[in-house]
Amino acid sequence: MDSRDELAARLDACQKCNMCTAQCPVAKVNPRFIGPKGLGPDMERFRRGQINLDETMLDDCSNCKTCELTCPSGVKITEMILGARRAASKARHKNTMGLRLGLRGYILGRNEYLGKLGVIWPTLTNQVLKIKLVRLAIDKTLSISKNGPLPAYGKPLKIQPDKVGIGTNTNKQVVYFPGCYTRFNEGDTGRILIRLLEHLGYKTIVPDFHCCGLPLEANGQFGKADKNGRYNLELMRPYLEAGIPVITSCTSCGLTLKEDYPKLETSSAQLIGAQAYDLFEFLWQLHEKGELPLDFQEVRASYGYHPPCHLKAQGIGTPALRILGLIPGVKIRNLDAGCCGLSGSYGFKAEKYEKAMKIGSGLFEAINVGAEHGDFQSMTTECGVCKVQIVHGTGIPTVHPVRILAKAYRLID
Amino acid sequence: MWDAVVVGGGLAGWIAGIRAAQRGKKVLLVTEGVGTLFYFSGIFVYGDIEGLRHLPKHPYTLFNSEAIAQGQHFVQEICPEYIINETPQSAFTVLGTVRQGDLMPRNMILPDRQEQGRFVLLVPEGLKDFFPEVVIANMAREFPGWQVSAKRMRVDALAEWVKLGKSVSSIDYSAIWRSEEGQRVLAHEIEEIKRQYQVGNKPQEKIVVVLPSLVKEYVDFSRTKPCIEEFSLPVLEMSSFVPSPHGRYFAEYLKHRFTDLGGELMIGARAVSLNQESPSENKARLCQEIIVNSKGKSLCLKGKKFILATGGLLGGGIKVGMARKSIHEGVFDLPLFVPKEWSEPQFFASQPFAQIGVETDELMRPLDPERGEVVWDNVHVVGRMLAHWDPWTQRCGGGVSVTSGYVAAELV
Repeated sequence: MDSRDELAARLDACQKCNMCTAQCPVAKVNPRFIGPKGLGPDMERFRRGQINLDETMLDDCSNCKTCELTCPSGVKITEMILGARRAASKARHKNTMGLRLGLRGYILGRNEYLGKLGVIWPTLTNQVLKIKLVRLAIDKTLSISKNGPLPAYGKPLKIQPDKVGIGTNTNKQVVYFPGCYTRFNEGDTGRILIRLLEHLGYKTIVPDFHCCGLPLEANGQFGKADKNGRYNLELMRPYLEAGIPVITSCTSCGLTLKEDYPKLETSSAQLIGAQAYDLFEFLWQLHEKGELPLDFQEVRASYGYHPPCHLKAQGIGTPALRILGLIPGVKIRNLDAGCCGLSGSYGFKAEKYEKAMKIGSGLFEAINVGAEHGDFQSMTTECGVCKVQIVHGTGIPTVHPVRILAKAYRLID
Repeated sequence: MWDAVVVGGGLAGWIAGIRAAQRGKKVLLVTEGVGTLFYFSGIFVYGDIEGLRHLPKHPYTLFNSEAIAQGQHFVQEICPEYIINETPQSAFTVLGTVRQGDLMPRNMILPDRQEQGRFVLLVPEGLKDFFPEVVIANMAREFPGWQVSAKRMRVDALAEWVKLGKSVSSIDYSAIWRSEEGQRVLAHEIEEIKRQYQVGNKPQEKIVVVLPSLVKEYVDFSRTKPCIEEFSLPVLEMSSFVPSPHGRYFAEYLKHRFTDLGGELMIGARAVSLNQESPSENKARLCQEIIVNSKGKSLCLKGKKFILATGGLLGGGIKVGMARKSIHEGVFDLPLFVPKEWSEPQFFASQPFAQIGVETDELMRPLDPERGEVVWDNVHVVGRMLAHWDPWTQRCGGGVSVTSGYVAAELV
């Protein structure tokens, strides 16, 4: 550990410059939020004296990690806040968090089970969730905003268990971690991704993973999140040990695999960080090795691109733009106009819906202005819920970038 | 393979990245955080260029005056609101004192002190770290021929903040001034000021409105709706304090200029070391790739050129251990110039530690201070990392950063 890491590990590295709060999308719209510096390093001093905060206050942080990217001294601000939430969740009986909010946290954290229920009869679920009265009832009973853009369910992505075993040709195999959104809401993206990897000569294994755990964590269900992590790591273990990469198409699942899983106490936790790849990060690596076929057909389309917060937090740049830049005809504008506001399930919560929309307003404006200028007709972004929020805020059609690549390879129309 | 990998997202790094991307190069800018522009006042200082060029090793000796002028014009090309002038211009600080600068936004430049007129200071309710009484007293002292008055104002959008007794940061206010609602409120306030002071006995009096945390520059109309409100009186910006709204919008603007030109930004990643071509005898070495820590794994970034813009002691490019002996540059482990004595007893004197940095040849390639030979052939050092200058007493921080970044981009 160098001197800078040592400092960062200690909260003394915080110089109180307030830049994190100045950049925090939540503090901008919510005067009651004391901001990342206040909730993170400042309050940490009290917490070290065993003075713990009310969980609802900690819950104002949307976990977008902008503060960590902003801090000039490398202070792990979100990590401190999450640690405090974890501690507060253990002492839940002592705080004022209501039963209703507890139940909401339980439900929003269980997007995997909701997904499994939702896809039994997706059209029915979607129709029911469109009924205003139903949404009002959910709003009143669970404080889940009646206006929030709950994603629709679709034909689920089937798991693809590894029937033949790993074998010897490990360098042409990948494990795909689709994440709940792709699995239950947008199975098409997953199916396209698998076809694409097949096209590149890769056998894709999709074990029956549980939710990565991030929504559970974001809704205060830390124990269950860790359990999911350990379960998933156990499923990954033989592949990780054989050096097979694990690919994600959701940037939040990807960040969880890279950032949170290595902290779990299992043997495969040491391996996952280095072997987890965002799809385009993986494809770029192939390209650098000269293994990515470049026989693209021209795709005449222009897109605006929104880099999700949890992609930025991975510290890998914008590999999707690099790959899409190889396709003749494709024009992409990287808008990079801030957080969309939804932050997983944050924007679904009744008391946070309007703030989430305000957070996203800068992005919506950039999209609308760009579309009016004729810079692009549609948007593209890796994150499923960013996509849902963009469509909700602007009405502009939004696709996962893998679709554009699949088009260039003539895999889809 | 990138044409250039720029390490560091401060002023020098952005200028290098934008210029190189503008020249059609494939550029990657790697930065750990948002960089030090959040300390930016909005004003670039160049200092006494000719005088400083007489100091034997000052970075200005690396550049000819044409390069320095080109850098200035480049800033103006990016931000047309910046005015280049033969003589330094003056602006108000947030304390109402007057400071000089060499390149500043048109809206910040103070009127002629010989003239007469009236300043009306708009005092936004609850603005953090803003002390109108002090500001008014200072303004009156600086401009003896002028009347100074204040007008308090509030904005509905921030009413909840004020009701809670929470101060509003200058960043939040600057966002309001840039919004449609803010423009409307300002237009209304200015109209009232005009009525109040012009209807009276002196209709000819020149009235200048002064507004803290106003940032009219760096507007990107490809991402923002134009909300043009022509005010009926001239409105002066004050220079920014930390966390700086000028710096915030400038950084965001530079980022968009860079990515719109095709540059790629890799934020949240720290460059830690490098891989080199196996060195042959008596030849400067070539860096092939740098190693960057992303979440979970290290990335190897191959480049033809590397531009080191990681800042100095304060910016984090130079690391000092608890024992002063362990001072080193964090990416390439470049040899550093370190003076024998680090500090001067007089606090405001030029402090020797300010001179710590990397010595280079005229192409800003790092030198071994003992042998005087180039260490890396394809690495250029820019900005605060350069040795033998002191931005605080020589007041040339902006000048060295802009010029070195610009010149390095020309070498890509």
